[in-house]
Amino acid sequence: MGGQVLRPAFPGRRTLLVVIKNTVRYLLRDAARNWVRNLGSTAPALGSMTILLLLSGIAGLGWYTLRSATARASADAAVLHVYLRDDAKQADVDTLRQNLAGNPRVVRVTYVSKADALKKAARRPGLPDLTAVADPNPFPASFDLMVRSVQDVGGLAGSVQHDPAVDPLLPTSYEPGAYQRLQQLLTWVGVAGLVLMLLLAFVAVTVTANSVRAAIHSRRDELMIMQLVGARRWMVRGPFLVEGALTGGAAGIIAGLVTLIVGVSVVGIGAANFAQVAPGLTTGVAILAGAVVLLVGVGLGSGSSLLGVRRHLET
Amino acid sequence: MSPLLEFYGVARSFGERVALDDVNFALERGEFAFLVGPTGAGKTTLLKLVNREIRPTAGEVWIDGVAAHTLKSTRVAELRRRVGVVFQDFKLLPRLTAVENVSFGLQVTDLRISDQEARDRAQDALDAVGLGDRADAFPDELSGGQQQRVAIARALAPQPPMLIADEPTGNLDLETAWQVMTLLQDVSRFGTAVLVATHNVEIVKRLQRRVLTLVEGRLVRDQPAGRVGRLAWAVKS
Repeated sequence: MGGQVLRPAFPGRRTLLVVIKNTVRYLLRDAARNWVRNLGSTAPALGSMTILLLLSGIAGLGWYTLRSATARASADAAVLHVYLRDDAKQADVDTLRQNLAGNPRVVRVTYVSKADALKKAARRPGLPDLTAVADPNPFPASFDLMVRSVQDVGGLAGSVQHDPAVDPLLPTSYEPGAYQRLQQLLTWVGVAGLVLMLLLAFVAVTVTANSVRAAIHSRRDELMIMQLVGARRWMVRGPFLVEGALTGGAAGIIAGLVTLIVGVSVVGIGAANFAQVAPGLTTGVAILAGAVVLLVGVGLGSGSSLLGVRRHLET
Repeated sequence: MSPLLEFYGVARSFGERVALDDVNFALERGEFAFLVGPTGAGKTTLLKLVNREIRPTAGEVWIDGVAAHTLKSTRVAELRRRVGVVFQDFKLLPRLTAVENVSFGLQVTDLRISDQEARDRAQDALDAVGLGDRADAFPDELSGGQQQRVAIARALAPQPPMLIADEPTGNLDLETAWQVMTLLQDVSRFGTAVLVATHNVEIVKRLQRRVLTLVEGRLVRDQPAGRVGRLAWAVKS
């Protein structure tokens, strides 16, 4: 009887499964086990990275809020409210409207009556209570001018302030330098935050790279054997990158959750008090900030480990 | 067929200190050779060059057709899979059994090897070194000679064309050392080139194999097999 060569079904798939199993074992499982075992020596790296990410997350939310406020101020800066006297004559009002509409620096003129001004005020956070108790209506009628350029606002405000239809006590909404001050504040906050973050990032990366050094030292025999028997470079280095990613990921989860909680709390406080505590900040933004913090943590941990491995692991 | 290992005018310095100077020799497939010399003669440096742990300062090192002297660090692993290594202190992982130590060496170099295949091949290697019945013993449950046999099994399991051993009998008594050397000699009979650095004059004389003598970094003598009499460095020191 002739012999028959038996071949396993789908040998390629079987090999792939073996490769996946071995990769998971030697790369991921061993890394996770070592990470848990070396948690004591990893703690400083975990701590410094958590602080870095937490501050980054909070600073990120703060910066976003400031940016939103500046964007709003920028939009408002091109709008000039010209407040009208309560006792202004209709003829004076009409003349003013004609003059403004014919001004080449003005794009659009919109009339806002006292009643409309009250309605708009009622929609602003913190003002509904005030509008409810205010009687008679304290808000003046106005012409809202969309100005062609922010630079023209000052000149326009000056040209209308002595008009007989304009309120002599508060002629316009123009406040010289307010927008520039906000811009300046945003720049300084950004620079200061960046410097602080760079400093913290340097500390976190250094501490993490050193913790990788400790991990390499604790496994030097195993690494030496792996290198000498001819294990591939990624097999030798990979577990340390995974360990770094775990450190960064753990720090990212903690910092991301705190950022999320802080963001949602601020949104909640604002909603409860009808106050604009953080302009532009929503629950969605807070979730996004938390996710970004987590991803940055994973990236920072892996990167720091790579740095440590390159520096301390000889091949 | 070209030799398996070739050294051409190889020199290696560590700063001002010259560890090897103008070393030339070749080793054929299946050949067994001793590398002898006093402490600091450059034996370990020469073995590190074979395994591409270090690069030569000058000269060429060829192993199985691969130019080790110019090999990029990204391809070193490829070379090392062709060279089995045995150390004086065995370098076994204490948390793994004998068979696991051998299969670990197999699987980290080739992820396509399944657990069962790795275990079977490791068991075969342990059988070949006479330790098949101690496969599940941990290193601290084995004698020095047995641990060295496990290390040899680990080095041989991937079936490399070359084996280097740095003082493999340094921690063993004479009888055990003799057994280990006999085992290495048997390995060469199956076609693996074996280069053994040793201080053990007694064994070198008894085995009567080729002897390369290094003194102060220079290859001062290359005695062919069967003609080993007085060892130059031993007489000198």
